[in-house]
Amino acid sequence: MSEAREVEIKTRNLGVTFQDNEGNDVAALTGVNLEIMKGEFIALLGPSGCGKTTLLRSIADLQKPTEGDVHIQGMTPKEVRLQKKFGFVFQQPVLFDWRTVKKNVELPMEIMGYSKGERSDRADEMLEMVGLKDFAKHYPKQLSGGMQQRANIARAFGLDPDILLMDEPFSALDEFTKEKLHEDLLRIWRATNKTILFVTHNIQEGVFLSDRVCVLSPHPGRLSAIVDIDLQRPRSLEVKETAHFNELVAKVRGSFEGGSVS
Amino acid sequence: MKRKIKRIVEKPWFSSIIWILILIALWEVGAVVVSNTKRVPENILPHLHQILGAALSGKTVTADMTATQAVLSSAGLTLFRALLGFFLGAVIGFLFALLMKLSGVIEKMLFPYLMLIQLIPVLGLAPIVLAITGDINVSRVVIASILSFYPVATNTLAGFKSVEKEKYDLMFIYAAKPYYIYTKVLIPAALPYFFTGLKIAAPMAVTASILVDTLQGDGGLGCLLSQSLKHAMSIYVFWLIVFFSAFVGIIISKIIGWIEYGVSPWKRRA
Repeated sequence: MSEAREVEIKTRNLGVTFQDNEGNDVAALTGVNLEIMKGEFIALLGPSGCGKTTLLRSIADLQKPTEGDVHIQGMTPKEVRLQKKFGFVFQQPVLFDWRTVKKNVELPMEIMGYSKGERSDRADEMLEMVGLKDFAKHYPKQLSGGMQQRANIARAFGLDPDILLMDEPFSALDEFTKEKLHEDLLRIWRATNKTILFVTHNIQEGVFLSDRVCVLSPHPGRLSAIVDIDLQRPRSLEVKETAHFNELVAKVRGSFEGGSVS
Repeated sequence: MKRKIKRIVEKPWFSSIIWILILIALWEVGAVVVSNTKRVPENILPHLHQILGAALSGKTVTADMTATQAVLSSAGLTLFRALLGFFLGAVIGFLFALLMKLSGVIEKMLFPYLMLIQLIPVLGLAPIVLAITGDINVSRVVIASILSFYPVATNTLAGFKSVEKEKYDLMFIYAAKPYYIYTKVLIPAALPYFFTGLKIAAPMAVTASILVDTLQGDGGLGCLLSQSLKHAMSIYVFWLIVFFSAFVGIIISKIIGWIEYGVSPWKRRA
């Protein structure tokens, strides 16, 4: 994985400090130096309060850093956002109840002025990719949680973004649905060659999906280790049974600072 | 057999019928109690059959009209004013909600006054509005619209505020212009709330219109009502108006419900 690949995202001494209710400074994130390659699948892993979501939001321009900076393709996050190069998948599906599944996928394309035919074709393609072709005309409330999250992913891929930011997208789903979506996400990622940043608090999930696991530790939130995941690709669920997978899980678990993660 | 009964009991019309029966029973009990009390004027709680009889009777209560004819011929004018005021109120209410959503400053400035207007009794408001507009019919419409606009404005504003932070974040990621945030997210999200406001406002517009009819006598249900109350004509006309306006209120709410159903296909399948 270390060939001469382009650096896609680079953070330099990135830090975010919030003020709590009493006006005291709370360091959500300090001194993060990270380089992410183009097409890489990165897991941001850590317990609550470690700043993993803050890191993701700083890259997405949803959060202004209070120190350091972020460069994406040599630009600021804001410039990249305005060029519509981000896709974002939240923990909740954030679908619009009044739109059909297909119309939900089309929404970002409507905002960006795609023609009607273009939108429709692209949405069909995306729904096919996530396995929701037969549910295009359904409304979100008619779908299960897993299917809603699939629609959410279809929407994020619809604009063909360079970078996909995912904030604990599967944490509200049951284990079976989650594993199915893991496999599907890896398949889609391989087919589209996006750079993916995937926030999770689940060690197995982070190891199974990613090329590298960035381990974050709390108080103050910081990047405490980066673990290379040298499992072969394409990966299937069987890889979780291998000794090497479990070694990697143990290695990640051992790299948390300030106590173990539950 | 048991299951069959259960199926009938679970039907929506079943509970409606039960409620109507209970209401009729309570009414009749009340009427019997009242009629057994001495020295009570006849306008307090007559029996339902007396009201029904008055509605169906061919006896004229005015120069040339029966009770039902009198009510229906006055109803047109009152309902027209109510409807006009209601539409105006709905449009203004929606625009005010939009304005308050667009600017927090405007919301802070405007909202207390909107509430204040609601606190003034209609009968106190009427002379003020009349003095401003200078025309009794215009002021009747204006009052109906004032009463309609508040529930529409507050409910629609609540609808705008019901949009979760994630939806704004999503729009931010897509660098959506405010125009799209309003047309694609905020307004559709507020629509069910807007309709709730309409359902509250519609009966209020009708009752307010009847009330402001009484200010000056030139037709309308309110005039008829006050004449009846002053025993210038059969007291049953009063009761017919009460039932008629209740009926109209229910019908309007139903119609609004159907319109909402019509424009919200996502509510039909869930």
